[in-house]
Amino acid sequence: MKIYDCVPGLEFDETVDFNISPAWFQDATHSVPPWTPMFGWFWVNFCRHGMQYGAEKLSLPTVKGWDWRFKDGGGYLALLIVQDPEERKAREERFRVAIRPFLDDFPGLWKGFVNEMVDRYDKLKALNMDTATNIELLQNFEDTISTCRRMWEIHMYMMYGVYTAFVLFEQMTKQLLGFDDSSPQFHRLMSGFDNKSFQVDKGLFDLARKAEAMGLKDLFLSTAPAEMKTALAQSPKGQEFLKTFDDFMEKEAGWRLERMAEINVPTWLEDPAPAFAVVKMAVEKGMSYNLDEERKKLEADRLVAEQEVMEKISPEQRAWFKMILKLAQNSAWFSEEHNHYLDLYTHAMIRRSCMGLGTRWVKEGAIDNKDDIFFLMPDEVRRAGINPGMFNFRPLVDRRKAEWQQWCKQGNAPAFMKEGFTFEDAMGGLVGSMDPIALKVVVGSMPVARPELKADLFGVCGSPGSVEGTVKVVWTEAELSKIVKGDIMVAPTTSPSWTPVFSILGGVIVDRGASLSHAAIVGREYGIPVVMNTFEGTKVLKDGMRIRLDANMGAVYILDK
Amino acid sequence: MDLEYKEIYWLDELSKEYNDIVGKKCANLGELVGLGLRVPYGFALSVKAYERFMEETGLKERVAQIVEKETKAGLDVEKEIDKMIEMSARIRGEIELADMPQGLGREIAEYYDGLQKKVGISDVACAVRSSGAVSMPGQMETYLNVRGEAEILRHVKKVWASAFTTRAIVFRIQNNMTISWAPIGIAVIMMIDAKSAGVILTVLPTVGDLDRAIVEGNFGLGESVVSGEITPDSFVINKNEMCIESRAISEKTKMVAYAECGTEVCQVPDDLRNCSCLEDKEILEIVRVAKDVEKHFGNPQDMEWVVDKRFVFPENIFWVQARGAKYTKKEEGKDEDYVIDLMLQLFRK
Repeated sequence: MKIYDCVPGLEFDETVDFNISPAWFQDATHSVPPWTPMFGWFWVNFCRHGMQYGAEKLSLPTVKGWDWRFKDGGGYLALLIVQDPEERKAREERFRVAIRPFLDDFPGLWKGFVNEMVDRYDKLKALNMDTATNIELLQNFEDTISTCRRMWEIHMYMMYGVYTAFVLFEQMTKQLLGFDDSSPQFHRLMSGFDNKSFQVDKGLFDLARKAEAMGLKDLFLSTAPAEMKTALAQSPKGQEFLKTFDDFMEKEAGWRLERMAEINVPTWLEDPAPAFAVVKMAVEKGMSYNLDEERKKLEADRLVAEQEVMEKISPEQRAWFKMILKLAQNSAWFSEEHNHYLDLYTHAMIRRSCMGLGTRWVKEGAIDNKDDIFFLMPDEVRRAGINPGMFNFRPLVDRRKAEWQQWCKQGNAPAFMKEGFTFEDAMGGLVGSMDPIALKVVVGSMPVARPELKADLFGVCGSPGSVEGTVKVVWTEAELSKIVKGDIMVAPTTSPSWTPVFSILGGVIVDRGASLSHAAIVGREYGIPVVMNTFEGTKVLKDGMRIRLDANMGAVYILDK
Repeated sequence: MDLEYKEIYWLDELSKEYNDIVGKKCANLGELVGLGLRVPYGFALSVKAYERFMEETGLKERVAQIVEKETKAGLDVEKEIDKMIEMSARIRGEIELADMPQGLGREIAEYYDGLQKKVGISDVACAVRSSGAVSMPGQMETYLNVRGEAEILRHVKKVWASAFTTRAIVFRIQNNMTISWAPIGIAVIMMIDAKSAGVILTVLPTVGDLDRAIVEGNFGLGESVVSGEITPDSFVINKNEMCIESRAISEKTKMVAYAECGTEVCQVPDDLRNCSCLEDKEILEIVRVAKDVEKHFGNPQDMEWVVDKRFVFPENIFWVQARGAKYTKKEEGKDEDYVIDLMLQLFRK
């Protein structure tokens, strides 16, 4: 029997894949560090499927979604551009009808999908993994696969639709008002919206207040997050707190992983240490949930900005301009909220299903550790699902694990390019596609150096404002604990599970990002300055440096040179 | 409806049903008063007043004789224009020179006296305007700045005489109407001392937005705004929230003011040119009143307002015209279609 070690059918092969596209870009936001084979299979198959599904459902005139390849744990992508002008025209006609639901009732559309997904999650969670039969475990895995596929369909259909409106709004502000999405004015129009992800953060802060009120402050201060659960269980007060905490984890916050795009790290429900770390940080640093108040202020600011903008638009143009503004504002909160209901939740479901299988397979002798399941492919799960005890996957797991460790050590190339093809050519291709996701999440605006400012680093404004503070360079969630109130976080990019720390940050600088990236959206909601696309912020800036961050100008000044 | 048939009416006694009795202009002003609008104070002389004048002065017979004589042999409108000019001059001369019958003159004087008391200004300046019962646009005269009892009476006669301008005679011949009889009413209304004037539409006409009103105005009289010769100040008001959503204050170099006879274009003083011609409270009051009228008629209105500098807010806002607004009806889904067009353009670059 031939064994395929990669993602079958979607492994990058330069002998044929350069015929499809001369350039394949690494998805650095999601596939660094390299994925395990199991997660890579899920992502490459279904993110790819979702993008093509979304582009087709909406009949985007210029692009049919993205093609994806898997290579050494990295995800690589190329755009499927519609070349034939006649075909573009035909797609335009269908687009007219397909985009309507977004204009008619975007919140209603989204709510319907949220209900559909939550219903699927509830059904998956209803199975007790410890007492389930092998057949039930296998069925749960198959259902998880179809849930993941559906999640990506919804994800990309929604994202393509709403980002198209966002790109349009940016164009309109440029043409009618003379500013784009790197301008503070633009960000004021996009701020002051609540979303589910923030509500989860608020719950964690509320838990910190509760711990203080219950007299557990000293216990939180003196206990490491990993030991917290055991320590709390020692006292009646602690047990009472744990009950509230566990309930909150089960219902709201538990279904997220530290790394959004992987399944080989525990969910907060399995290992509440990261959640305890947030609560502990909130107790330690006196962080209170200031989003509600902050939002009120931002909302008031936004309404003023809206009025200012509307006054500059002639009365005849106001009705449709307002329509585009509303749609664009939807994309701001949708960008953050979808992480909670789609990516994070689904990946937690995949992990749950895999862990159930892994535990059973260890028990029946197919593998040694339950985590080894991440080095198998779904076809292998199917092959041995009903009778895992009849198969030995150890040699396969050992070989793939060794390979994976090697991938992690060597790292992956940022792009595969056909000979003679340059990075600039490739970027031109991305921009030319007019693919709204490529423009607003992947590429972003390029910083413009302004020598007259004499700044040390230039980026693009993601959230307006200016601040002075101390640099803390952060690569992983574990490093968040070194942040103290007022620090400026410098990171390659930020992850949804890092959101709570924004409440004590003075500002944020990220190497890569666009106006709908996580750091920009969260920064705007917390009202702190964010500069993006500095490319080398994590290289130039060091822990402890004093800097001034002027997000309005996209400039960073090192103060103690 | 039982209509009281008098020779003189206060405007607030009138409504559009009085069209044939006092003429269109007077009936319309009465209708505005009935809607609760403040219109320039004044009174109306009915067709009956005209007939009484003609009767008591013997002019009715006199005019009939003149017309009879001149048209006995038939009258060719095209070729005998000189003859008609001469006939017009004769008749008008006789009317203007005739003495106002004592009784009628005293009654008119009593109303003028009442008007002076109402306005609070003695010898208040008035406009004496013709008010035809049938539409004969621009054929009859209007006199401005008429002060004092004697002058009022003199100009009333002049307006009556204007029923026999050459154009009016030709019009009646061409329309097979009796030449010697004209159903003419007169409006005697106080002159406005206009700080500013303009229009309000209770709809944004180009987009059919019924939630918003647009007010446009300039210093001086409203003609400069209505004629579209200058760029007026422009305000967009949200009718539901009653807030001014946008304002465009233009540089206003010219305005229209009353002259000895009629109106004239003159310069806006330098220090006023870039000032708003309305205060916010005046704008909102104009919208408030216009909304009531819109509600009354059930459709968007196009109305003309004047702010009189002699009175204090809100008694300084007067209305001179109200009619249904012409506007582009908003088509359902038209904005959506346009937004989709814009989206498609994104993909075409």
